[in-house]
Amino acid sequence: MGNGNWRISRSRGRAHLPLIVVGALAVFVILFGKAETALFNRARTNVADWMRPSLTLVRMPIQVAGRWLNSVGDFFFVYQDNMRLKEENARLRQWHNKAIVLDERLKRYQLLLHAVPDPAMSSVVARVIGRANHPFLQTMILDAGRANAVKPGQAVIDQRGMIGRIYLTGERTSWVILLTDLNSRIPVSIEPNTDQAIMTGDNSPMPLIETLARGVQLKADAQVVTSGDGDILPAGIPIGVIVPYGNTYRVALFADQTTAQDVEIVDFKIKPETQPPVTQQDLPVTAAGLPPVVPPPQRTGVTPPPVLPPVFKAPAQVPPKPDTPPADAGTDMDVPDTGNQ
Amino acid sequence: MERLGGTSGGRFFANMIPVTSGLIGVVVTNLPISLFGGWVLSPMYALMPIYYWCLVRPDLMSPGWAFLIGLVHDVLSGAPIGLWAAAYVATYAVIDWQRDGFAGLSGWGAILGFATATLVACTAHYVITSFYNWQVMAIGDSVQVFAVTAILYTAVLPLLGWLHRKLVGPLRSEF
Repeated sequence: MGNGNWRISRSRGRAHLPLIVVGALAVFVILFGKAETALFNRARTNVADWMRPSLTLVRMPIQVAGRWLNSVGDFFFVYQDNMRLKEENARLRQWHNKAIVLDERLKRYQLLLHAVPDPAMSSVVARVIGRANHPFLQTMILDAGRANAVKPGQAVIDQRGMIGRIYLTGERTSWVILLTDLNSRIPVSIEPNTDQAIMTGDNSPMPLIETLARGVQLKADAQVVTSGDGDILPAGIPIGVIVPYGNTYRVALFADQTTAQDVEIVDFKIKPETQPPVTQQDLPVTAAGLPPVVPPPQRTGVTPPPVLPPVFKAPAQVPPKPDTPPADAGTDMDVPDTGNQ
Repeated sequence: MERLGGTSGGRFFANMIPVTSGLIGVVVTNLPISLFGGWVLSPMYALMPIYYWCLVRPDLMSPGWAFLIGLVHDVLSGAPIGLWAAAYVATYAVIDWQRDGFAGLSGWGAILGFATATLVACTAHYVITSFYNWQVMAIGDSVQVFAVTAILYTAVLPLLGWLHRKLVGPLRSEF
């Protein structure tokens, strides 16, 4: 140690000791992390919340530079792009008008059929501030969290289709598991026959269709949407199209998850379905017009008087129906019998 | 130009540069910006400082720091905790074991040396992940990351060399 502070004091032998200790620590952390996932997820969201300003700060100049570079390249194709966009706009206007007409018609049909209305949905727009595009792992970090009413399970979409779903939320950040990730499982419906299946990610760009009913033959380019099974995700979110892949089927995704910068988190506000309390009227015996069975008296000394449930009574007097309905019969049928006739 | 190691405060900052460069590598790896438009997986930028500083200043890049950088990588990437940390520690062990061999390389040899370390890191991560998920994972992603990381090291190496020469400085024992 005669060379001052700069002298390396550790020898090669002593260097291996902490390496062994650190190696053991790494193995311990893996095992402990697998056992206590919730603990580490909480730590992860806290770290992401803490790093959110720096991630946003670092992202901004790079994104601006990227946009500027792209715009330089696009400058040479402005005329062609303009012509293409005009043509596309005209075509989309036609589709827009058609969609409005069909939407109105659909609403009328739903009204006529007393169909259950679609659940209300709201959404939060968030920016992608982090993206892990590593082997065996594809996730995103968004700059919206619990403070923006983001909850685990909500769908994340871009302007073309679904990207993934939220699986962790911090106060100001949330983590998205992408559809292509190894751990992604989404119940889907395949048009036009609404074949139900599970779409599983396998870290390839095109997720796999699994758990399809036996004998179902899918056609190429058939549209895949969320099925809404399990009330986890809203039904009908576009995902992609079917691509036959050997003996299996894969899904070519609409959304470009590798370049998406701003995404929408869909809040599926489905109301919890609560069973109404069962009344005597709901019992099949009562509904058939028979008196319900009275429970036998208890053997204890003092028994409270049995409370008889209300029995369905037929109306005492039914006004005679006229042979020929009057002109305003439709309105009379809706008026309740007040007994003043 | 005087190095940061001239004063005690400057020395502290100079000593933190290797670890900081590793942490910056982790952040850059997980930024939502891709040099290749998202078509290629993110390279392991964090491995570059670990390899470089482990060779030239092992006193400032200890196994504990490599473990910490891997842990931050796990946290920021959303990976199960400990996978990258274990992979980096395993790579550090190989670099430390063959330090004389790696440090003696120059030119393209140095790139090949780093490619070897990258191969070790990718293999370790692949094996650990396969055991963790208890299934044989597809090898394509690991091969892709190995290739991209090894190629991009040629671009990052001058920056690390500049940091070493101008800010951190060599070991006193090397004088």
